[in-house]
Amino acid sequence: MKKFSIVGKHVPRNDARAKATGTAVYTDDIKLPGMLHGRILRSPLAHARIVSIDTSKAAALPGVKCVITGQDIPKVKYGNWRLFPDTQDEYALAVDKVRFIGDEVAAVAAVDLDIAEEALSLIDVEYVELPGVFDVDASIKEGAPVLHDYCPTNISVNRKIHYGDVEKAFAESDYVREDIFTVHAVSHAYLEPCSSIAQCDLDGRITLWTSTQVPYIIQCLLASTLEMRENDVRIIKPFVGGGFGGKMELRTWEFCSAFMAKKTGKPVKFTLSREEEFLAGRRRHPMKLYSKVGFKKDGTITGKDFRVHLDGGAYNAMGPTATFLCGNFGAMLYRYPSYSFQGEHIYTNKPPASAMRGFGAPQAIFATETQMSIAAEELGMDPIELRIKNAQVSGDKIPGVATISTCGFIEALEKVAQMSDWKEKRANPKEGRGIGIGCYSFISGGAFNWFNTQYPYSAAEVRVFDDGTAHLLTMAADIGQGCDTAVKQILAESLGLKMEDIRITSADTAMTPQADLGAWGSRLTLFNGNAVLNAAEKIKAKLFGAVSARFNLNVIHEFECKDGKVYPKGRPDRGLTFGEAVGLVQKANRGEPLIAHGYYTPRDKGLVTPAFSFGAQVAEVEVDKKTGIVDVKKFWTAHDCGTVINPRAAEGQLEGSIQMGLGYALSEQFIMDGGKTLNTNFLDYKMPNAMDMPPSEVVHIETYEPEGPMGAKEAGEGLAIPTAPAIAEAVFSATGYRCRDLPITPEKILNAIEPRERPKSAVK
Amino acid sequence: MKRLSYFEYRVPKTVEEAIELFESGGADARLMAGGTDLLMKMKHGAMTPKILISLKKIDGLDTIAFSEKTGLTIGATALLADVASHPDIVEHYPAVAEAARGTANVQVRNMGTVVGNLCNASPAADNAPTLLAMGATVHIQGAGGKRDLPLEEFFKGPGLTALRGAEMVTSLSVPLPPAGAGAAYLSLSARGKLDCTAVGAAAMVTMKGDVCDDVRLFIASCGPTPLRAPGAEQIMRGKPISDDILEKAGEIATGEASPITDLRASADYRTRIIAVLAGRAIKAASKRALAR
Ligand SMILES: Cc1cc2nc3c(=O)[nH]c(=O)nc-3n(C[C@H](O)[C@H](O)[C@H](O)COP(=O)(O)OP(=O)(O)OC[C@H]3O[C@@H](n4cnc5c(N)ncnc54)[C@H](O)[C@@H]3O)c2cc1C
Repeated sequence: MKKFSIVGKHVPRNDARAKATGTAVYTDDIKLPGMLHGRILRSPLAHARIVSIDTSKAAALPGVKCVITGQDIPKVKYGNWRLFPDTQDEYALAVDKVRFIGDEVAAVAAVDLDIAEEALSLIDVEYVELPGVFDVDASIKEGAPVLHDYCPTNISVNRKIHYGDVEKAFAESDYVREDIFTVHAVSHAYLEPCSSIAQCDLDGRITLWTSTQVPYIIQCLLASTLEMRENDVRIIKPFVGGGFGGKMELRTWEFCSAFMAKKTGKPVKFTLSREEEFLAGRRRHPMKLYSKVGFKKDGTITGKDFRVHLDGGAYNAMGPTATFLCGNFGAMLYRYPSYSFQGEHIYTNKPPASAMRGFGAPQAIFATETQMSIAAEELGMDPIELRIKNAQVSGDKIPGVATISTCGFIEALEKVAQMSDWKEKRANPKEGRGIGIGCYSFISGGAFNWFNTQYPYSAAEVRVFDDGTAHLLTMAADIGQGCDTAVKQILAESLGLKMEDIRITSADTAMTPQADLGAWGSRLTLFNGNAVLNAAEKIKAKLFGAVSARFNLNVIHEFECKDGKVYPKGRPDRGLTFGEAVGLVQKANRGEPLIAHGYYTPRDKGLVTPAFSFGAQVAEVEVDKKTGIVDVKKFWTAHDCGTVINPRAAEGQLEGSIQMGLGYALSEQFIMDGGKTLNTNFLDYKMPNAMDMPPSEVVHIETYEPEGPMGAKEAGEGLAIPTAPAIAEAVFSATGYRCRDLPITPEKILNAIEPRERPKSAVK
Repeated sequence: MKRLSYFEYRVPKTVEEAIELFESGGADARLMAGGTDLLMKMKHGAMTPKILISLKKIDGLDTIAFSEKTGLTIGATALLADVASHPDIVEHYPAVAEAARGTANVQVRNMGTVVGNLCNASPAADNAPTLLAMGATVHIQGAGGKRDLPLEEFFKGPGLTALRGAEMVTSLSVPLPPAGAGAAYLSLSARGKLDCTAVGAAAMVTMKGDVCDDVRLFIASCGPTPLRAPGAEQIMRGKPISDDILEKAGEIATGEASPITDLRASADYRTRIIAVLAGRAIKAASKRALAR
């Protein structure tokens, strides 16, 4: 392991003080002079044709400054998959048709929120209701209602992966396991609801402050939908209270605030309510997953056939990527000599599903992991042993897709077994108690370019000054995950400076270097970290030249930046302070500012990602067999994220992941009546909170990823994957109930362990 | 964020003044203690009172008092947090303290009141079942004077109470439990620690030796109000506590409730759980009785 002075240390987060003292400014906190307040009119119907919209009464209401519908805006569809324009299926406001309850139909801007709200009630929309489809089976039936004219089958994406001969593998297997799993939708439930505010200057340029994970993507898509040039649109990301994949596309309110600001000449702000978020916000994809895996007697896997139907809701959103990653992650963790995947993304008349922490992998791996545990039981093997036998290792290749350069999976499995006292607890289970395992692998950023950008995937600019300070400008979007802190640590380490020597400006498309695809796919530490290092190396080369010349040093010397000094390795006496070295470089160049640009785009790293994380988690539960209530006692996690840049931040990611995994496994679900979401508040949408968090222990497995900055990989999303399968297996070992359809509810457990007739009183 | 519509905010200093304001405001006026139920309903537009009458500045209304003779008195503005931690309540009425401590979270307990929890009349109110089982009385005052009502006659349906016109609850009292009595409340919900109760059961059991001499059993969240289970009580009386008799009592209690399917649980699940919680509540109460 390399020795670092700042990387790997408990450095306080860049945003901690502002958030703890309440001084952090989020989008909704921004108030501009003359600002108007926007509200959105949403469809009350799941599927309908719009016959007419009459906005005249709303427009006549005193205080209303602007009312728009789909007829008033440029007819430009958008979506993140620009490489495949067919997949871009959304208008900012409905044109002709609505496709889910909550679909955006019109927008109002008024001098205050009450007037805007009242104006909504004055808009008359005449609809002709159409039959709707609410699950994937109904949607792909012959003669099912069609959501989008361009897509008569309702299957908008069909992705296949094949390698090896799966049929042959099954024929040669001693044991073939076949199961169908279903998983449900859950909400990102970020604590900051979506919000945006736009201002238009006298030259017609737009500035949009918005709660987003992807400022650059918003810039491009907003420009195209407004029919403007990209550089005439400036996106600023203020503090963001979480995204988890739910804020990574251009959305209606972002478009409307910009369009209406342009129209009225006044700033326009939209902030969604929690009810709107739950009713119409993005969700994790429900899926139906068919999985067939072959084994030899000794547990060796021979092949896998994996077919998945993703319930995409009414629009593609990030569904194509979820389909793609679901297929890739069906083949991760274990060595599958042959693999066949077919993923179909299917439209239904429900709020669009999209990216959500793990992005297709939590669903795929819930199936993989549950099936591995079933197989272990049937093969008479310990579930951890079966996993170790098949585990991927460093150097493994997935044909034509990826090479795994570092992999601490087996070490993680062994460690977590030891930490949790696995053998003893499995051998001598206590009544009502159970212990189970779940594992994960995840990408450290996507190598795919479906956004079709000409810019680098990530970029940074470093400016250094003769007072010994530096200014880091980066388009990386800190949305609460802490990348501002991580990239500052990387720069401080590289330049030998202290955290307080570095000023950071991030995520302002008019100021920070083009470009960055955003905070998703667990990419920023690796991608932006590499871009920062690339810029730092360029700065250092100049500083080293200056010091070398100043002391007339032998050209064979290697140099170091450390503790605020620049000197030849092993000869700190022959050095200058950082500031002196900067001054010298500038002097030699007639005062030219010392600035360097760095960038990173993965090259030759396969189609998926430059590096994979791995990990294993054990959950212990106690189940009340009379009520079916599951009490999670403890989690043990061992994970490989390469070099840990900031241990507290990594542990924070783990805690947050466990909280999400708990909800996904046990308590969170949307209660739907056809296309209508019935639980639209935190009282009825059961997200676990601080009081529900079980104790947890973690060990970081040390690997050094050559493609990562200072050896780092991702720690943001992968950890959200293992919790549900670990709990499911623990519940099975406590009760004998095997969950194949999430969530694990008390009622399902009771019905499985104590089936009985439906009592009469239930009919009342 | 959801916004409140316009209202007038009044802060009377005495109960009489509050009642006067309440009477003159009529249907437009609403009493407010902690506001933790009321303001939520107003934000969602389920209630739009034009006048809010805060009870918080009325001197002495937050009193918590105990004496061996008169039992426990909890004033209308006594906070959930104070009831949860009051030494006399913890000592003599541990089940009452536990119910208050099990309500909501720290922030809400520091604003909300036990009496507000009752007046809100939710079938899921966490403080009602224990107080019902322990035979509490509500003290009511209105323009026409004062009256007392057994808590058992107070609830009339979801959100509905026996309060008439400009009446308010000034306090509630809980008699000293009989010798050999113990009480317990158990509840269950989907999320775990902070959630609206899907099924609840409270019992007060009076033991004579190891025989159940008397019991009062109430089921929460399985009907329009918390429901008493007289049949289940009857079968317990005079019998030693055994798993068999608890199971039987649970079964009878199930028939005495009327659970429905809603967002929090299905009728089927509730039906199964009533028996379990009823039995457990009686058992826990009897253990507490024996330990006294
Ligand atoms: C996050 C959260 C979690 C919660 N969790 C729980 C829980 O776990 N269990 C639970 O039972 N409840 C819970 N609640 C509901 C609520 O906090 C309780 O019901 C609380 O005890 C109400 O007291 P209050 O003083 O705030 O009442 P208020 O909101 O002030 O009043 C409630 C109602 O009673 C009337 N009222 C108040 N005082 C009087 C009086 N003296 N005379 C006549 N009428 C009166 C008011 O007009 C109003 O209609 C929760 C609420 C929140 C916001």
